[in-house]
Amino acid sequence: MPADLKDLVADLRERLAAARLGGSEAARTKHTDRGKLLVRDRVDALLDPGSPFLELSPLAATGMYGDAVPSAGVVTGIGRVSGRECVIVANDATVKGGTYYPMTVKKHLRAQTVASDNHLPCLYLVDSGGAFLPMQDEVFPDREHFGRIFFNQANLSARGIPQVASVMGSCTAGGAYVPAMSDETVIVRNQGTIFLGGPPLVKAATGEVVSAEDLGGGDVHARTSGVVDHLADDDRHALAIVRSIVDTFERPVTRSIAVHDVEEPAEDPATLYDVVPADTRTPYDVREVIRRIVDGSRFHEFKKLYAETLVTGFARIWGMPVGIVANNGILFGESALKGAHFIELCNQRGIPLVFLQNITGFMVGREYENKGIARDGAKLVTAVACSVVPKFTVVIGGSFGAGNYGMCGRAYDPRFLWMWPNARISVMGGEQAASVLATVAGRPDDEDLKAPIREQYETQGSPYYSTARLWDDGVIDPADTRRVLGMGLAAAANAPIPEPSYGIFRM
Amino acid sequence: MRVLIANRGEIAVRIARTCRRLGVPTVAIFTDTDADAPHVRACDEAGRVSSYLDIDEVVQQARRFGCSAVHPGYGFLSERAPFAAALEAAGLKLVGPSAAVMEQMGRKDAAREIAVAAGVPVVPTGDDAPFPVLVKAAAGGGGKGMRVVRSADEMDEAVAAARREALSAFGDDTMLVEKYVERGRHIEVQVLADAHGNVVHLFERDCSTQRRHQKVLEEAPAPTITAEVRELVTSSAVALAAHVGYENAGTVEFLLDSDTGEAYFLEMNTRLQVEHPVTEAVVLVDGESLDLVELQLRVAAGEPLPFGQSDVTVSGHAIEARVYAEDSFGGFLPQAGTASIVRWPSGPGVRVDHALESGQVVSTSYDPMLGKVIAHGPDRESARDALVAALEETAVLGLTTNTGFLRTLVESEAFRDASIDTAWLDRVDIGTDVPAPRADVPRAMAAWVSAMITAFDAGHPFQADGFRLGGPPAPTLVELDRDVSVDRHAGTVDGVPFVVLSAADHVVDAVVDGQRERAVVNVQPDVVDVSYRGQRFVLTPPDRLADAVAAGDGVLVAPMPGTVLDVRVAEGQQVAEGDVLGMMEAMKMELTLKAPFAGTVTAVGAAAGQQVALGARLFVVEPEEAP
Repeated sequence: MPADLKDLVADLRERLAAARLGGSEAARTKHTDRGKLLVRDRVDALLDPGSPFLELSPLAATGMYGDAVPSAGVVTGIGRVSGRECVIVANDATVKGGTYYPMTVKKHLRAQTVASDNHLPCLYLVDSGGAFLPMQDEVFPDREHFGRIFFNQANLSARGIPQVASVMGSCTAGGAYVPAMSDETVIVRNQGTIFLGGPPLVKAATGEVVSAEDLGGGDVHARTSGVVDHLADDDRHALAIVRSIVDTFERPVTRSIAVHDVEEPAEDPATLYDVVPADTRTPYDVREVIRRIVDGSRFHEFKKLYAETLVTGFARIWGMPVGIVANNGILFGESALKGAHFIELCNQRGIPLVFLQNITGFMVGREYENKGIARDGAKLVTAVACSVVPKFTVVIGGSFGAGNYGMCGRAYDPRFLWMWPNARISVMGGEQAASVLATVAGRPDDEDLKAPIREQYETQGSPYYSTARLWDDGVIDPADTRRVLGMGLAAAANAPIPEPSYGIFRM
Repeated sequence: MRVLIANRGEIAVRIARTCRRLGVPTVAIFTDTDADAPHVRACDEAGRVSSYLDIDEVVQQARRFGCSAVHPGYGFLSERAPFAAALEAAGLKLVGPSAAVMEQMGRKDAAREIAVAAGVPVVPTGDDAPFPVLVKAAAGGGGKGMRVVRSADEMDEAVAAARREALSAFGDDTMLVEKYVERGRHIEVQVLADAHGNVVHLFERDCSTQRRHQKVLEEAPAPTITAEVRELVTSSAVALAAHVGYENAGTVEFLLDSDTGEAYFLEMNTRLQVEHPVTEAVVLVDGESLDLVELQLRVAAGEPLPFGQSDVTVSGHAIEARVYAEDSFGGFLPQAGTASIVRWPSGPGVRVDHALESGQVVSTSYDPMLGKVIAHGPDRESARDALVAALEETAVLGLTTNTGFLRTLVESEAFRDASIDTAWLDRVDIGTDVPAPRADVPRAMAAWVSAMITAFDAGHPFQADGFRLGGPPAPTLVELDRDVSVDRHAGTVDGVPFVVLSAADHVVDAVVDGQRERAVVNVQPDVVDVSYRGQRFVLTPPDRLADAVAAGDGVLVAPMPGTVLDVRVAEGQQVAEGDVLGMMEAMKMELTLKAPFAGTVTAVGAAAGQQVALGARLFVVEPEEAP
C-alpha cells in the first residue's frame, strides 16, 4: 500500500529540515563562535527583507558520500537582492569545510547554468577549502568539473551577467579564482583569505613561514594586492556591500514574459493532496492538477477532443501566460502530433511551456510501430528540443522511457525541472526491466535474477535518488507547484526569447 | 469688541476659541516663521510682525485691524508695563491690569512692599534671612538671575554671577536676598477682579513639580495644604489684589515651606497663567464651569463680575502636564524639527490645549511648550490615572518631546504621594528616579510594522512573504538600531510572542509577551520613529556602508612621500577616535593623520621634520577592545 501523498510531503519536509541544518552541531558551533553566520543565515541576510528564496536542489548528495554532505555543501538558489532576482551560490563551511565533492561541483555549475539561461547576476558567498582532494579524479579534470566554474564566470561576465563574490572564509587554490574571476569582490577582514597555496604549502615549497592573514587576508587583498575591491568588517557588512553592488546594476529594460493581474486558483492548491493518488499507477484526470496551479483555475484547452491522452492548452500562472502540456495517459502517435503542434504554437507566440510529466512511455506494439509512432514521437522530441521559449517541467508522476524525452526531461534543457515526492524516474518500470533482462538472459521466470533488478529500479527510480544527483532542481511539495513555477517564470522573464527555428520534422 | 491676540502657540489658539464661541472677531499676529501656524488659522484675520515683542508693531496691527482690545496671553509682552502703557496711549484696552499695577507687581521689591502693606506673609529677607538664602534679580523670573547661597563666604561670588545674568536678561541688576526654603511647595491662587472693585479668588493650584523653576505639572486643588493654609493664601491673594486695585485675572504665588507649613508670598503674575485650565476644570460657579478667558474679556469690557465669592466651589481634581520639545532623558536638551505625526489624546475628563499639528515645523526660536494635557477626575487618583492614560495616548513623532518623561513622572510614587517639592526634579537622578521607558516593546512594534510594510510587496511570485521550499516562511530581518527577526508566520519578534490586534493609521495595538501594548509607529526609509508610552524612540539602522573599513587596521602609513610636520602623540598614549596624531606635508598638501578609532598608540615611526617614504609606518593604534 503506497503512502498517502500527504505522508510523502511530510517525509519531504523532514528531509529538507534536516538538510537545512548543514553540518554537525559541533561544526556549526565552531563556525558561529568565529563570528560567522551560518550559510542560510548569510543567504537570508543577503536577500531583501522578506524575499522568497527558490532554493535549488537542497537535497543534493542525499544518500551519497555516507550522507555526510548535506545539500552537497553548497546552497544555491534564486532570490531578490536590491529588488533584482539573483542567483546565489553559497558554500557551507560547516560541511566538510565547504570542499567541493562531485555533486558540489555539479550543483555550482547548475546554478551558473540557471544564471546563464535566465540572465541573472551571480552572487558567490565563498567559504570553501577548494576541491575535495580524495575525489580529485571526479572533481578536477573533466569538462564539467571544477575548472568549468571559472570558464562560466568569464563567459557569463562576457555576456553582461554580473559576477560578484564575497569572500567570507577560505578561498584556497582553485577556489581563489572565484573571487579573482568576479567582476567585483568583497572580503571579510580577519576571516576571508584568498591564496593559491596556503601557509603549509608555502612552507613546503619555499620554506617561507607566513600567517594566513599576511599571506592572503582581507587587508592584504584590499590594500596591497588589489585582488578584492571592498573590505568588510564582518559577514553582515560584507553582505551589505554586496547588496549595494547589486544596487548599482542596471535592470533589464524589458521582461520577456507578459504579466497580467494575478488571480488565485479557484481550487486551493492544497487540495492537490486529495485529488492526486500517491501511486503513479492509479489513473486520474490531470486537469484536476492544472486547475490547482493556474490563475482562476481557467484553462483554455487546445484540441480537447483529439488525442485525449495528452492535455494541451493555455492558462496563466501568477499573471504570466503559459502553454501547458500534460500527460493524461500513455502517448500515442496522435498525442505526439498534438503536442508538437501545440509547442509550435507556444514558440510562435512567445509563450512559455509547462510540462506536467506523468508518463509511462509511448505505446508499443506492432500496430503502433507500423503506423510510425517513432516518427511521430520524433516530431514531439524535435519540437521540445528546438523550443526557444522558457520550458518548465514538473514530474508529477512517472517519468519513464522516451516519454521523458517527449515531455521535456532534463536532457531537453527545461529552465527548471522539479519533482513531486511521489514521482518515479527510470528508463522503464522495474518490473518491465526485470522481465526484459530475464527474458534476454533466457531465464524469464528466474526470481533470483529479477528481484535485484526490481530492487535496483525501485531505489534508483526514487525522486530522492534523482535529486541527490542533480537530475532535477529539487523535490517540491505539490502545493508549492504554482509558486515555484511562478518564481521560475519571473526569473526566466529576465532573459530575452529568441526567434524560433526547428530541425527537420520527420513527416 | 474686536480682539488682537498678541501671542502665538496654544494660548493664542485657546483665546481664539473662546472669542469664536462668544462671536468676538479675532486678529492674530505672526512672524515670518509662523505665517502658517495654527494660531494664525485659529483667528479671523492676521497681521505680520517682525517680532512678537515689538510693541510698536503690535499696537500698529491692532489699530490697523480696528481692534478695541488686545489679549496678551502669557509670556511675550503680557507683563511688560511699557506695552500696557502703549496700548493705553493708543486708546486700546489691554485684557489685563493697568500699566501702573503691572509695573508695581512686576518688580519683586515693590511687590513685596505692597504685600507687606496688604498684610500678606512674606519671606524673611536681607539680614533677617538665615542661610541658606536665595539671591534673585528684582526684575527677574524664569529662574534667571537666581542663586542659592548656603554660607556667607559664597555670597559675593553668587551675587556677582546673578547680577551678570540679571543685567543681560532684564537690563536691571537689582538683587534681592531672601530665606531659601529647602523643601517648598509652590502654591498659587487665581484671582479675578473687575473695574468695579469686586475681587474673588478661584482657589489655589499646586505647581510644585518644577525643573529649574519651570513648571512641569500643575494641579488643583493643592493636595497637601490644610484648610487653614488654604484660607490664608486665598484671603491674602484677594487682599493683595484689592489693595493694588487690580483688574482682570491674576495669580498670586506663594511658597509653602513643607517643613514648617508656613506660606510666604512670592510674586504676583499679572496675566493669565499657563496652568489656568486646571482651575477651569475644578472650579464651579453655581454648578457651572468657568471660562477664564471669557471672564477676562467681560472684565475688560467693563462688565462687573457675574458672581460673588460665595458662589465659587471646587469639584474633583485636575492635573496638567506641559508638553515640551525637549529630550528629558537626554539632559533636557531643547529639540527642534518637523513633527511628522502628532496624536493628541481625547476622551471624557481630558482636555488638550495645543498648537501642534502633524507636519508642523518646531524651531527653537520660541518657547518649547507645544501643548498641555489636562485630566480631570472626581479625585486626585482618578485624575492621575486619566492623565497617565492621556499622556500614553499622546504621540509626537519626528520631534522628541518630554511626554514619556511626563507620563513616568505622573505615574511615579513620588507624584502619587504628593512628595515632590519644587527642587525635587533638580535633585534626583533623572533616568533612575524617573526611568525612561525601555526600548524593547517599541523596537518590537517598529520591527513588526516594518515587516508588515515589507510584506505589502505582494502580487508577484517574488513577493516578500519569505517563501521557502517545503518549510515555514523565513522570518523577515528588520534592521533597526539592531537586527530584529520578525516571524509573522510563528507570531514572534526575536522569539517573543507578538500578536497584533489592530494596526491602522500608524497606531499599533498588540499583545507583546502576554502584555497589551500600544504604540504609534512611523516607518520611513532608514529610520523608524515610535512613540510608546509618550516616549519617542528613533530607531536607525547602522549605515554599514558609511561605517566601512575606513578605520583601517590602526596602522597609519604615509599616503605619499613627504615630510612629517608634527607629531602630537607618544607611544603608550591613549587617543580617542579622530584625535590628530600628527601632520605631514606632501606634494604641497598638508595631511592630518587621525586616530581611526579610540585606543592606545603602540608605535610612533616618525619625528617632526623627518622625510618619509610612501607607505612608511607612521603610527600604530591598538583598539581599546577587539573590534
